[in-house]
Amino acid sequence: MKPLVKTENLHTNFYTFEGAVKALNGVSIVVNQGETYALVGESGCGKSVTVRSMMRIVQSPGKIEDGRILIFFNEKDREQGIDILSRSEAFMESMRGNQISMIFQEASAALNPVLNISAQVGESFFAHRSSEMLALTETAIRAELPNTRFPLARAWKKFQIAMYERERADLEAYHVATTGFDDRLYAIEDSLDSETVREGSGIRRRRERLHKTSLLVRFVKRLPILSHYYRRVGRTVHNEVVELLTKLGIPNPQNIAERYPHELSGGMQQRIVIAMALACNPLMLIADEPTSNLDVTIQAQIVELIRTLKETVISSVLYITHDLGLVAEICDRVTVMYAGDTCETAAVTEIFDTPLHPYTKGLLSAVPKVEQQGELATIPGSVPNLVSPPQGCRFHPRCPHAMDICKVEKPQQIEYSQGHTVSCHLYTGRNSRT
Amino acid sequence: METEIMVEQPEAAAGHKGHRDMHPRLRELLFGLKRFISSPLSVIGLTIIVIFGLMALFAPIIEPPKTPNNPYMIPHTGWEMQPSPPSMTHPLGTLPQQYDILYGIVWGTRSAFVIGVAVVLANLIVGVFLGVLAGYFGGAFDEIIMRITDIFFAIPFLIMAMALVVVIGRGLGAIILVLVVLNWPQYTRIIRSEILIIRDREFVQAARASGASHLRIMFKHILPNTIYSVLILASLSVGATILNAAALSFLGLGSDLGYADWGQMVASARNWIVGPTGQPLAFWYLVFIPGFAIALFVLGWNLLGDAARDVFDPKQRRK
Amino acid sequence: MNLLSYIIRRLLLMILVLFGVTFIVFGVMLLLPPGMRVAAFVKSEKITPDQMNAMIKQYGMDQPAPVQYVHWLENMLQGNFGYSSTASAPVLDAFKQYLPVTLELVLYTMPLMIIVGIVLGTIGAVRKDEPADHFTRVFAIVGYSLPTFWLGLLLLMLLYGLLGIFPPGLLSNKLTNVINSPGYHQYTGILTLDAILNWRWPIFLDALYHLFLPVVNLVIIQSATIVRLTRSSMLESLGQDYIRTATAKGVDRKTIIRRHARRNALLPVVTISGVLFATLMGGAVITETIFNRPGIGLWTARAAVLLDVPAVMFNALFLGVVFVVINLVVDLIYAYVDPRVRLT
Repeated sequence: MKPLVKTENLHTNFYTFEGAVKALNGVSIVVNQGETYALVGESGCGKSVTVRSMMRIVQSPGKIEDGRILIFFNEKDREQGIDILSRSEAFMESMRGNQISMIFQEASAALNPVLNISAQVGESFFAHRSSEMLALTETAIRAELPNTRFPLARAWKKFQIAMYERERADLEAYHVATTGFDDRLYAIEDSLDSETVREGSGIRRRRERLHKTSLLVRFVKRLPILSHYYRRVGRTVHNEVVELLTKLGIPNPQNIAERYPHELSGGMQQRIVIAMALACNPLMLIADEPTSNLDVTIQAQIVELIRTLKETVISSVLYITHDLGLVAEICDRVTVMYAGDTCETAAVTEIFDTPLHPYTKGLLSAVPKVEQQGELATIPGSVPNLVSPPQGCRFHPRCPHAMDICKVEKPQQIEYSQGHTVSCHLYTGRNSRT
Repeated sequence: METEIMVEQPEAAAGHKGHRDMHPRLRELLFGLKRFISSPLSVIGLTIIVIFGLMALFAPIIEPPKTPNNPYMIPHTGWEMQPSPPSMTHPLGTLPQQYDILYGIVWGTRSAFVIGVAVVLANLIVGVFLGVLAGYFGGAFDEIIMRITDIFFAIPFLIMAMALVVVIGRGLGAIILVLVVLNWPQYTRIIRSEILIIRDREFVQAARASGASHLRIMFKHILPNTIYSVLILASLSVGATILNAAALSFLGLGSDLGYADWGQMVASARNWIVGPTGQPLAFWYLVFIPGFAIALFVLGWNLLGDAARDVFDPKQRRK
Repeated sequence: MNLLSYIIRRLLLMILVLFGVTFIVFGVMLLLPPGMRVAAFVKSEKITPDQMNAMIKQYGMDQPAPVQYVHWLENMLQGNFGYSSTASAPVLDAFKQYLPVTLELVLYTMPLMIIVGIVLGTIGAVRKDEPADHFTRVFAIVGYSLPTFWLGLLLLMLLYGLLGIFPPGLLSNKLTNVINSPGYHQYTGILTLDAILNWRWPIFLDALYHLFLPVVNLVIIQSATIVRLTRSSMLESLGQDYIRTATAKGVDRKTIIRRHARRNALLPVVTISGVLFATLMGGAVITETIFNRPGIGLWTARAAVLLDVPAVMFNALFLGVVFVVINLVVDLIYAYVDPRVRLT
């Protein structure tokens, strides 16, 4: 299994009025190419924070304090992947929505109420596939050129073509400048020399100040009449949007594209959000509890939609959920989290068959089963306060197997068997590898 | 599968030492006050108001009145029209007809406080009363009261104020009355809209279903949830009220020359803005000093109001 | 169809409100006994009681209040708004003379104050808690706290008194004679506009020169409100979920601010701008007083003090109409921009 995105020892804190909330306490997870991955846990255990850290959209007062986040998108990349925590914001902007997309829980809140669907889905196209859209429009205009006789119209079309080419060149230059995998940058990351580190931040800062397009293009776009040259591209994007909606099986796409978010049902809104996320054919889709707010029937449709898309368009899907049933049905591998720690990671079948971590066991036994009789099992106690979390293993106050060492030392992540890791002192002795 | 029930209570749930035991509303208040104090601007505002407050309180000691039964009359040392610059006898200079500016500033603080607090308090009472009537009982009450507020909103403030003052007779009391009469609608509107939001919430319905009287519902359920916006408006209004009062005084509708009111003092400066040729700023103290007092006082209230809003605005609390 | 009926309903409401406004204003004016009100028309020092009674009868001031009100209404509907004693001219003529002066002031103040307000407010919100933010907040709150007259007087004192630049008044004396001369056509009464239409640039510049201080005075104070409102509105907008989605889509920060945050944030600003416009039309009384610009503000102020009932009534009516129309326009803009709003 080749990894796609990997976090190593991620520490993220939120600096609030009441103190520093240590939301992530060294989270290490790996999402492989082509798999459906689940991140499971109670509310507040850090699942959302993890994925937001992965995309570097942690909201202030949050800050990623330690660790590495590695991506393995290209074959050309180094074996160890690229640590995106040292990349510029421009790099992240080109990655978000493009190679990694994320959909959130509340679809209605995720959509801007004053823009229509075409504009919002189209925004994804403009953000990352602008060059392609420009090329498409240009081809269309070129095809019309022989049939245009009227000199003013010919001149206008030639002007449009010229501007499109100019913009495409600009975008290309920008792309190279901000995402180019600079060998110098690699050398810098590996070195501990302060001189080279400063040079690295200098490179990064220079990249932050670049504009996507040249001054000429930006200027013309602001002029009163000439700026209309860009309208045609808008139409191209609109058509692409409609095509995308059709591909997603949304009925009546032309009509829907012109509507506003508040005119659509919850399920439809979520489908639009998915469309926005998929516009640029991302490698990985992160779904943060996408169905929690929807009816059960719509839930099923959405999940089915994502499953179909995974077979065709996306490579990996990362689900955040606390619905174990969903995990059992569609996911390949799962990580269980508790209070900012990863407890256990395994293939889905294996974790249901042989759960190792006491928390996992508690979680699974809490799910009501048909043949069960008597009281429902619960895990006693409550989720800890993350400003002053428990020492050692964060689960020890509620763990039925807590030992003395659990109160003092945080358990390391051990590989119990092939592909099955667990962080618990019960298994510290039993390494399948050293 | 384990199903033992563990009785062990996690000690980690303690969190902040004693705060968990406090009544939640008190905790909110403490949280708010802490944030309040941590903002430098609000501290400055509070300091300003406190200083002015002390000045108002100790006015008789700082500047003993010459006419004990009317301390608001500024003492004057002569009848000369031309104002005198700051000197030993008059540390801040004098107004036309030699009224001492320092005295005016000190006792003017009292006037300012009275105006600001009286008007806003009266507005609050009238506005909230009508707003609650309109919002809670709805129906005809709502329609009529809303139409009246619409009309009052459309009345041009300054014209109406001036006309009223002329009709009633000039003076500080008239200005206070005018401001009370013309400014209550904004409170009504705000509390009415807040009430409309709350009125149909479940807990109000529940209270009604359990037979609580209207009065009880209003005081125990509705007011505590809706009063915040109005209080914020009130604290922000004190400044505006004082500015309006000063403007009216400036236009000559306030008290007579010699009364300790800042707006009046600036009004007296109207003929002395530009000094004799060669000395254009000869009478700077006339314009600058009382105006500065007004500006500073209003600034203090605005800072307080801003800080109050940052802290107590239900939409912005808790980050 | 829906739109039309909405507008009609609003206009009917407007008439109701205007009745209310004029009724109240009239009622206030009538609180004074006729003897005092007729004094407005008295030219000489002493008159005999008989002469006074005759004047009272002549102006119909002895009739009961409602009758006088109806009288006034009748006259108004015929286009007769009475005679303004403070202006020594029929009310309508005086209005036509004074309105352009106020209009000119408002014309230059509004766009400046909105632009300054929005720009500073956006900067404050986007760069929250940075030095730039603190600067805009301080500017806003100080500007909000300054008494208009104080700032005006200070500006006058320092710039005109000390440095001799930016004088009060409308135009220099020499040029005032020029615009009153036969060769000069006063199309609109707005000095700058007329100057351009007459192609007399020195007059244009001179008018601007005289406009500078009053406009700066108003802009500083009024833009403060807009700065604060824009800032808080932007902050609220930036905290919304759709911003988070746009970030996750990889849209660059500048576009997010421009397209998503700002568009939603500007709605309350539109409302406030409307209110401020209506207030400014009230003549910016204090500014006109200090800078000696004979607009409707100055006129109304004198009329109120001197009990010139027809003038006060007319101005109240005019401002009421402005207020209601502005509200209607603002609501329509709101409905246009925000598709969630349905005109009910």
